[in-house]
Amino acid sequence: MKFSYFHLMPWTDLEETPAQWPVSNQAFRPERGKQLYDTYIDTMAFAEQCGFDWVGCNEHHFSPYGLMANCNLIGSVLAQRTKTIGLAMLGNLIPLLNPIRVAEEYAMIDVMSGGRLIAGMIRGVPHEYIAYNVVPGESRERLREAAALIVKCWTEPEPFGWEGEFYQYPSISIWPKPYQKPHPPILMSASNEESAEFAGQHRAMMGITLIADLKLAKRSIDVYKQAARAHGLEPTPEHILLGYNTCIADTDEEAREIMREGQRYFHRVLMHSIRDAQRLVIQKSRFFAQEQFGERFVNRLETLKERSLDEMIDAGSILCGSPQSVVKQMKRIHGELSHGCFNINMKIGNIPDAAVRRGMELFRDKVLPEVRSL
Amino acid sequence: MTAFSEHEIKLSSGALRYRKGGSGRPLLTLHGTGGPNVSPAMEELAQRHTIYQPVGPGWDGTPLHPSVKSVPDLAELYGEFIRTTIGGPCDVIGVSFGGWIAMWLALRHPDLVDQLVLEAPAGLRDPGTGGLPADPAHLRAALFSNPERAPKLVRSPEVWAQNRRARDGYATGISLDQPLLDALPQIKARTLVLFGTKDEVCPVEKTGRRLKAGIPNSHLSFIYGSAHALELDQPARTARLIGAFLERGEAFLVRNPEAA
Repeated sequence: MKFSYFHLMPWTDLEETPAQWPVSNQAFRPERGKQLYDTYIDTMAFAEQCGFDWVGCNEHHFSPYGLMANCNLIGSVLAQRTKTIGLAMLGNLIPLLNPIRVAEEYAMIDVMSGGRLIAGMIRGVPHEYIAYNVVPGESRERLREAAALIVKCWTEPEPFGWEGEFYQYPSISIWPKPYQKPHPPILMSASNEESAEFAGQHRAMMGITLIADLKLAKRSIDVYKQAARAHGLEPTPEHILLGYNTCIADTDEEAREIMREGQRYFHRVLMHSIRDAQRLVIQKSRFFAQEQFGERFVNRLETLKERSLDEMIDAGSILCGSPQSVVKQMKRIHGELSHGCFNINMKIGNIPDAAVRRGMELFRDKVLPEVRSL
Repeated sequence: MTAFSEHEIKLSSGALRYRKGGSGRPLLTLHGTGGPNVSPAMEELAQRHTIYQPVGPGWDGTPLHPSVKSVPDLAELYGEFIRTTIGGPCDVIGVSFGGWIAMWLALRHPDLVDQLVLEAPAGLRDPGTGGLPADPAHLRAALFSNPERAPKLVRSPEVWAQNRRARDGYATGISLDQPLLDALPQIKARTLVLFGTKDEVCPVEKTGRRLKAGIPNSHLSFIYGSAHALELDQPARTARLIGAFLERGEAFLVRNPEAA
């Protein structure tokens, strides 16, 4: 089993529930921002010493949910601060960006880190399409074309042109090219069957951000495997990454208390206005080709918000407890889904950074030795 | 071109002249200091809206109503106009001075205002900042980013002066309407606030931010390259944004393929 240490870099100091999305940035204080970046980058670099295989970051816009508008900036810092850990950019929101720029920045991280990049090619959550003013109904086809173009940028030995539906470039030849050959591993989201099939068709690794229900996750994994096989990839467990909000403390009670507080801030402050913006995009565009996936996306958010901690643990949605309890929970989930990589987020909402560090130490000393061989 | 017809209606305080044109969802437009215009942007909006454009008492040679003396009084007058002439709630665009009235209208009669558009609205400007210059050359420069290319003003200097006096009579020397500022959080209508990036008449630094911070369900947008007269200076950008907002409500935030 592999483990990825994932961070959202949330803003932790908002007292009021934001009334609107985008969230007003009046409360942002730059000196506090500097402190948070310092702390978060230290924590992410520490993941290497705790035995994590990857350190992961991602891209969000216009809200205190995350301070990584461009995760490649954090990736390049981590390339310098670490030696061996994989740098998982999970990822760039490809349909919103200039694909040439993504190809170049990913290649830079890969070369600077000596070939440690895992290249996330992510469609992103619906409200990001408001932020960058891209037609949500074009997201899937933009992702398809941009992903193809990026791989071409990495692999074509001579300058080439691209005349596509969404992208037109007369002549391309990026410097640098990636360190890994033929190119860095690609990871795509597979949070529903629609995206799972897409990831499989692209022979990418698949990732699920948050699991609301083990049965639905299993269905996505099956769809992914089938599509990957049909396109010439025999997927191994290591191709399957599952995201988990995780709290490990010395006792179950302590872990639950920490998680409860962090989730309260997460739902009340960080997610509040995002939910409204997501609903708006889902209702007013063809972001999901099939209506049922849109409904399920919205319901998943509601379900996760309303469930108790025990219900979330039982549903296989979170990992929470003493090291012994978390080991049990991990074994159960692995038994159900046979995946090969946990993507662990320990900074949920405003969980104190000292508690996050303690959780990482407990993971290193008491959890990892029990689950590495899964 | 949409044909606009001229009408007059007797309201409780006196007779009110108005233009009407277009078809679709009713839209009340409240003019600024200069007086009502069927601008290119208004022509565009008339494709999907029935536009009602009243002439404020005292503008363009119309008589004053003795009992209508202030901006809130004008809001009451237009409230009566919506009830009697339009016959129910409608969307409202307020331009500059008309934006000031529109905010009072939305406050006093939330049941009559569906969605609100404020084009560089007056009434929330710090004393001594911005304002309309008096002499014609400076006035044109304040209204249009490129005065040479700007449309010719349709009114004579005499009518302009008369309209300006009408405005001054209602404004009573107020540039910052403190009771209005205090009441902004009570505006219920979904509101789009527009400012030109080159507007020095209503500087956005104060007014725009006060509106965005004050009105709970509001969106502030900049019209790139426009001075104060948004509808005349950048008609395509202004009409496109207002049209999307009025037609799609909150969903105007979500880009659709037609706009791509």
